[in-house]
Amino acid sequence: MNSRNMVAALFLGTSLATPLAAQDNMDKLTSMQRTDATFTTIAQDDERATALKEILPHLKVPDGFAVSLYAVVPDARSMAVAPQGTVTFVGTRKDKVWSVVDRDRNRVADEVKDFAPSVTFDLPNGPCFSPDGFLYIAERNRVLVFPAAEFFFEGPDPAVGVVVEKGKLIPAEEESFNHTARVCRVGPDGKLYISLGQPHNIPPVDKHEMYAEAGIGGIIRMKNDGTEREVFTRGIRNSVGHDFNPANGDLWFTDNQVDGMGDDLPPGELNRQTEAGQHFGFPWVNGAVEIPDYKDVPRPEGVEFIAPAAEMQAHAADLGMRFYTGKSFPEKYHGGIFSAQHGSWNRTTPVGARVMFTPVDAEGNAGAPEVFAEGWLDSETGEYRGRPMDIAFLPDGSMLVSDDFAGAIWRIARQAE
Amino acid sequence: MLAGGAMADVTGNREAGRKLAGQCRTCHGLDGKAQMPIAPHIGGESEEYLRTQLAAFRDGTREHEMMTIVAKNLSDQQIADLAAWFGGHKPTATLKADPAGAPAQCVACHGPDGIRVIDEAPNLAGETNIYIDTQLKAFRSGARKSDIMGPVAAEMTDEEIRSVADWYAAVGIEIEMIE
Repeated sequence: MNSRNMVAALFLGTSLATPLAAQDNMDKLTSMQRTDATFTTIAQDDERATALKEILPHLKVPDGFAVSLYAVVPDARSMAVAPQGTVTFVGTRKDKVWSVVDRDRNRVADEVKDFAPSVTFDLPNGPCFSPDGFLYIAERNRVLVFPAAEFFFEGPDPAVGVVVEKGKLIPAEEESFNHTARVCRVGPDGKLYISLGQPHNIPPVDKHEMYAEAGIGGIIRMKNDGTEREVFTRGIRNSVGHDFNPANGDLWFTDNQVDGMGDDLPPGELNRQTEAGQHFGFPWVNGAVEIPDYKDVPRPEGVEFIAPAAEMQAHAADLGMRFYTGKSFPEKYHGGIFSAQHGSWNRTTPVGARVMFTPVDAEGNAGAPEVFAEGWLDSETGEYRGRPMDIAFLPDGSMLVSDDFAGAIWRIARQAE
Repeated sequence: MLAGGAMADVTGNREAGRKLAGQCRTCHGLDGKAQMPIAPHIGGESEEYLRTQLAAFRDGTREHEMMTIVAKNLSDQQIADLAAWFGGHKPTATLKADPAGAPAQCVACHGPDGIRVIDEAPNLAGETNIYIDTQLKAFRSGARKSDIMGPVAAEMTDEEIRSVADWYAAVGIEIEMIE
């Protein structure tokens, strides 16, 4: 079923979903009925907003740019800007997806409220849009689709369909709160690409084959109705950011490397995938660094490990990333990758909490990454003021940076001349 | 109940614990109030609970991709110090709902407001619902071991687990840092 047929089916009141628990409201919603759910609205002008604005003087962006507070959004994680640009959907590692609305287009959010409050979400980290306006939300262990979300978000009971049933994204016994923040993208082929982190620092040897089979520690793809699922990317530890190069369709992704090998090992990674099924080496290697636990475990036969396209500082936690397709930033940024470093959690000297830029040339090769925006880490005390998690762009080409520590979305724009 | 028989004789030093807590604060806060959804609030837990969990992460009976690494090299003394530091803070829960609605199978140990009734149990007040949900499912599957929680969780459906998690997550929590 393609997207248009799916919305037609929803409007006809046909349930796409296998019946789920009534408590979940999914039965009612998939047959377009009303529930009694109410919205949670986040104030945008209270003391919280004032406190966030006090962070702004610490943030450093290149000359010619300005940074501002776009919205107060608790636990803000991966973002999806709707095609018309009026509303941005923001995932969390809790139970909310936020809709962030800028109706008057003054580049400050007017309203932040929870999206689809009638749905019981479970770690809905990963929203993504298809070009024709279907909003997909990848949860810990389910994938939902909301047709025309940009128009239906105003009500508490938007139309919804189930792409991957609860318990079918990964085996239920593998559910955890480790590395379960899913990211999704709709690829150039119209399929859904969803990252599945593996839930360990290093997976137990007796599990690695089962994980490889399920695509845990990889990126899976499927048609937008959930069929034809396959493992697209292999050999990843925990990727929490991927995007397609609009110039040639290559899939790029960040990864988070093994902990416990020291402050400077292994380096962070930005990876480039040019063909389906490529293997990026984990758990045998992180880039050029061998993982001792897998020294004696046979590597998959006939498989060449793909090295990272660019290396980042170790343990800076490279998460969300996006290609720059806007026009308002200077030429040097066009077609390159902006990525968010969440910041380290146990490095002796904390690093990260900044936005990186990596140029990508006409052949699709990465140049040297550089710092684009920083200051969320107080280098004197080692404490975070904020922790950038994802990057998105508004239709005017300005950048949104989600921050799940401060509970904010920051905006970085070209300064008016 | 204390893991590691020898540890019962070790007395924790709060000052030493405060220093060690530098490696905990990015996730748990220096006052033990969680800084991110995946981490629980640990400020004001019983020292016994904190010692037991750290020892379990150290010896591998409880596994977590981050805690396993940081606990691996802790000595009995360091575990006692950390437990003394975080256990010494003062949590205050604010229950907005009618306590009569509290989950019946939990209140004897965790209280209606998620402040522990016995030292073997953790506080649950204000934890992220997904954290509580995840732990209950781990008890149910046996991935996290507990003689008490295993049988309790074994009887629960996904919906009951989420409902319990939502109850305690909705309780307000403040933690006063005690130096």
